[in-house]
Amino acid sequence: MLDKGKIGSLQAVFLLVSMVLPTALLYISAHTSRHAGQDGWISLMLAVFAALAIARLAVSLARRFPGQTLFQFPEHILGRWPGKAVAVLYVWWFFHMNAEIIRQFGNFLVAAFMTHTPLIVFELLIVLIAAYAVRGGLEVFTRANQIILPFILGLIIITNILIAPEIDLKKLLPVFSDSGAVPVLKGAVMPASWLGEIVIVAVLLPYLDRGQKAFKIAVTATLITGLILLITFVTDIALFSPQLTVAALFPELSKVRIISLGNFLERLEAITMGIWIAGGLIKISLFYWAAVLGSAQCLELKDYRPLVLPAGVILLALSVMLHENIIEQVNFLGAFWGPYALFLFQTGIPLFLLAAAAARGLGGQERQ
Amino acid sequence: MVKYIKPIKIGQGGRRKSRSGRSRTPGEYAQENTFPSMELHDMELHDRQLDSDLQSNLQQLMRILDDCSDVVYREFAPAGDGHPGLALVFVDGLVDKTLVSDQIMHSLMLDAPLVRPGDQFTGDGAFKMIRERLLPYQQMMETGNLGRVIDAVLAGETVLLVDGCARALINDVKGWEMRSITESQTEIVIRGPREAFVESIRVNTSLLRRKIKNPNLKIEALKLGRVTKTDLAVAYIKGIANEKLVAEIKERLSRIEIDAILETGYIEELIEDSPRSPFPTVGHTERPDKAAAQLLEGRAAVLVDGTPHVLTVPFLFIESLQFPEDYYERWVVSSAVRLLRLVFLMVSLVLPSFYVAVVTFHHELLPTPLLLSLAAQREAIPYPAVFEVLIMELSFEVLREAGVRLPRQVGQAVSIVGALVVGLAAVQAGLVAAATVIIVALTGIASFTTYYSTGFAIRFLRFPLLVLAGSLGLYGLLCGLLALLIHLASLRSFGVPYLSPAAPFHPGEQKDMAIRVPWWAMLYRPRLAGTANPRRETAGLEPAPPPPGQNGPTGDEQ
Amino acid sequence: MKIRFICLLLLAFTAALLSGCWDRKEMNTLAIVLGAGIDHTPGNQVMLTLQLARPGYTLGAANGGEEPGIWVVSETGRTVYEAQGKLANRLSRRIYWSHNVILVFGEDAARQGIRRYTSFFSRSMQDRETTWVMVAPGQARDILETSSVLEDSSAQAAAYLERAGTCYGIRFLDLKVMLAAKGDNPVAPRVEVVASGVTPVLDEEEPVRTKSAALTGTAVFRDDKLVGWLDETETRGLLWLRGELEQGVVVVPSPDNPGKYSSVEIIGMHMKVKPQYDGNTVRCNVKIVTEGELREQQSTEVDITQPEIHAELENKMAGVIANEARLALNKAQEEYGVDIFNFGTAFHRKYPREWAELQDRWNEVFTGVQVDLTVEANLKFTGLTGRRGSIKE
Repeated sequence: MLDKGKIGSLQAVFLLVSMVLPTALLYISAHTSRHAGQDGWISLMLAVFAALAIARLAVSLARRFPGQTLFQFPEHILGRWPGKAVAVLYVWWFFHMNAEIIRQFGNFLVAAFMTHTPLIVFELLIVLIAAYAVRGGLEVFTRANQIILPFILGLIIITNILIAPEIDLKKLLPVFSDSGAVPVLKGAVMPASWLGEIVIVAVLLPYLDRGQKAFKIAVTATLITGLILLITFVTDIALFSPQLTVAALFPELSKVRIISLGNFLERLEAITMGIWIAGGLIKISLFYWAAVLGSAQCLELKDYRPLVLPAGVILLALSVMLHENIIEQVNFLGAFWGPYALFLFQTGIPLFLLAAAAARGLGGQERQ
Repeated sequence: MVKYIKPIKIGQGGRRKSRSGRSRTPGEYAQENTFPSMELHDMELHDRQLDSDLQSNLQQLMRILDDCSDVVYREFAPAGDGHPGLALVFVDGLVDKTLVSDQIMHSLMLDAPLVRPGDQFTGDGAFKMIRERLLPYQQMMETGNLGRVIDAVLAGETVLLVDGCARALINDVKGWEMRSITESQTEIVIRGPREAFVESIRVNTSLLRRKIKNPNLKIEALKLGRVTKTDLAVAYIKGIANEKLVAEIKERLSRIEIDAILETGYIEELIEDSPRSPFPTVGHTERPDKAAAQLLEGRAAVLVDGTPHVLTVPFLFIESLQFPEDYYERWVVSSAVRLLRLVFLMVSLVLPSFYVAVVTFHHELLPTPLLLSLAAQREAIPYPAVFEVLIMELSFEVLREAGVRLPRQVGQAVSIVGALVVGLAAVQAGLVAAATVIIVALTGIASFTTYYSTGFAIRFLRFPLLVLAGSLGLYGLLCGLLALLIHLASLRSFGVPYLSPAAPFHPGEQKDMAIRVPWWAMLYRPRLAGTANPRRETAGLEPAPPPPGQNGPTGDEQ
Repeated sequence: MKIRFICLLLLAFTAALLSGCWDRKEMNTLAIVLGAGIDHTPGNQVMLTLQLARPGYTLGAANGGEEPGIWVVSETGRTVYEAQGKLANRLSRRIYWSHNVILVFGEDAARQGIRRYTSFFSRSMQDRETTWVMVAPGQARDILETSSVLEDSSAQAAAYLERAGTCYGIRFLDLKVMLAAKGDNPVAPRVEVVASGVTPVLDEEEPVRTKSAALTGTAVFRDDKLVGWLDETETRGLLWLRGELEQGVVVVPSPDNPGKYSSVEIIGMHMKVKPQYDGNTVRCNVKIVTEGELREQQSTEVDITQPEIHAELENKMAGVIANEARLALNKAQEEYGVDIFNFGTAFHRKYPREWAELQDRWNEVFTGVQVDLTVEANLKFTGLTGRRGSIKE
């Protein structure tokens, strides 16, 4: 084990909630209602179920190989080189996902707040801080997250309370008639790929204080995230109508801009910025850590720390090179990312690995 | 098994390779630090033994202690007939002269001749007689080691040399001028004990003993400092404090090799976990009640002779917000005040930067009338908000520093002048906006609500945050805060994470963090004490009046 | 090694700082926009009018009313942003939209179709969706060039008027929702410059007659093009039928003498629409429930403490309300032929499948909709007195 840290159950739940929530919060309404219209909340519930299934899959797989992460046990299942290939695929996936996230991070800040500042400035600063956190180890950013996440949740609750006078739940009607089963399912793919990032539990399992609680942790985190996303979606649609929600690039931001309390507390989008930056940092740190850990384990190094800075450079470069402009990224994420992440990395490969492991009779079920 | 404290490998705490890559061995220091004026090397002194002959002993002592004009050599001969039999060596000013003359010399000179042991007076018999019968004194030790004799003389003890005996008697007659126990100047409470530690370590340990009258309060002594030979004591309560913690402290202390220990601050920097962080991971206090409370929670204390400040380890971030008075006043009010302190801690760190960020980047956060009013004020200011706030902050720091150092009479004038000049005149001259003055003043005042050392760190960190906010607005400020948070999350104090009990979060620990629950609810010690002795109170102690009618009629009938 | 890294970091940081903080805007480099107006000029150009604040003079106390606190500028261009760009060439400060509170469309611009102009305000990250929208007969510029006696600027005065809720206050968000919905058509308050009072002056000079902007009705749009106006009574009807009336006065003729009136203040209301479709015609059952408080009674013979009189008063109140609603309904159905009451969306919610056929020609269908109106009015309170006490028995 390269990172000697151990995190407790509550910390793990917080970490997993922070993993999905901040970025998903901003985009969920637009992406989901694009396909499913006002019935997106059904899509979200489907996505939550899918994520629970993925969590079950990941935990069952990881529990067969106690003490080993997702990057190590494919070698046991498939043999050295095929196993390493699978691990390298996952390392690539974490890098790619992190680069997309960093790009999204910078995009939002430039598009919505400071348009004249170059994108690289935002990305550089956050990657530097994430590198500092990752160097400290899993424990460090998990502890920081324990302080950050309550703030984020508090702010989300406050914004939703403040916006309550404006919402008109009737806009959610009629149910299930403007769309059909297929659009609802299509709308569920994107949220499922975000919530399905819970597959990272397979990397975290050896670092949990009490590994047997892993499934419970994953379930709690998914349910909390799902609930908050559901509330967000419902309020967004109830506030703007379904047609407008699709048009907005950042519906949550638009929502916060409408808050007006006593004609004094207005124009509070700095709140969204705060949520975004703080949560984004944890998310980026977590995937950064997973990528670096995976690289170190693939290369069978003793310590992952020397890899942190080079990985940061790679992340920055990737994030800049991947897309030309914001529209291209939005289209890419909408069309390609869902199936790519969900079906390949979150479901496909773990299923394959589990089947192979079961077929070869590998790995005992972990006893208490 | 304590799961909470990360297992510390003994000896690894705080140890880093030196930058040149070469680690130094302990002996190097000793070899590099010789005192050429001394004939005898420090280490060699402790190998020398006393001589039987009194005069040669005295000659040796005078040679080592030459040019020390305050050392007194008193020779006398109780046997009378010209035989100088005894000599008393002590330092004038360190000993209680009344005791020396009344107790020691009186009994030796006046009583001894009455008790003639026979013909053999000098020699070991006399020594034995004196030691056992003639000196009615509480603390006495004997030694034959020259180094020990020198240490004793310089420590304020008297050394009695007997001709014909190669051993000396050491009496503790320390009695020098020291500050009496007064109220603490830096940690002031309205309700609570007012005594504070003083510079003498013996008085300090006595203050601790008076609070904790338990045989388990262990006070282990050691000496540190090659030249100063300062007395130290490590205090802890056995059975409550974590043994690994105590062992680690003693180990780290034993690794110290330095000329002088003048204050606990020296030790703090030599034993702490994160020497490069601005935040303190070792706490200090001047109050015995606070020190005793820390000991009862499982911490250990290090006392140093010569300073009233006592170190307590481990030190957590939340202690910056905790003051002894919180525990003496009622819990509702104390909790509210503590929350206020937490808020103002953030304010003192963030407010100037937040102001700069809003005024320079995020004008939408201001309500329109406020924006217009601020804009009107800023029309006259010729430079950007960042510089304005920076200048004001620097002036405030200068004022503050000057106010601490100046003599009392002048300090009053400085504060008035400062307020007048900086506040009024600068605004009127159009150098700063009125709002900036308010912000800076509020920040300065808010920084006094926390523990002093943390306050230092925050004062210092305000400036980088200011620069960040001025260049990147709220984004820069948030990034700075996040980096700070990550830094704090990575600190450990003797194995305990710095941010506990907030992170890692333990529900039971929240009772004493941002609020203070009543004493009848604080059932368990903080977890840093380990799980060996977790309970400090019986449950169910919440008081209530007896049921009506139990103690006689309780109504209003008379 | 660590020191080297830190030095590099500091260098990079300083370099970043030195190249200029890109988005930094000192407060005194901002031209704060308080109100904006869009007009359509001949030559198919857009005229953008901005009401800018003059800090230091805006707040009445600071300047004692000597100098105006605002400054109005205009410029034309092919698009709104081009007009703004041209304005930027004339202004020594950067235009800052975040505190903009009103958006006025001129009549010509509204008749051309406001969708041409709303895109700028949607995409802008400075402009808010809480800006109040209004339409001016004539030019929007005239509205912005007025000043206000009570408030610091006419923009704020107009914004507060809309916020008060006597006319139908529309924010940009509401406008967008109405534009996007197929079952609804936008409405916006009409703002005009009217003579609005007199400021006395010392020394027997002529008192100054002031003019300011006031809300005098509603503009009716078909999709995004202006088709007509509703006057104040019809606006009330509109508010009743949309369920958006927050405060208002209903004048009820007295039961005994139609020449004498009582005034009732509306405290609250809610409205329910139930569409019914039988394949051919659409019927809408509209039920309005409202509560009021009696404020004034001109009649001297009527004793409202008697239950029958009280009930009669309530009936009359309901009648007045229904009348107002009918006025608005008739105008919308017969004269303009647009559904401005959001009945389409209600229909959509109840009959989603039928809506799919009807949605594209809903306005036509709307003209044939039969509306059954039921009004229930409750007179909850009567102020501090019951019967009139000053009447000598």
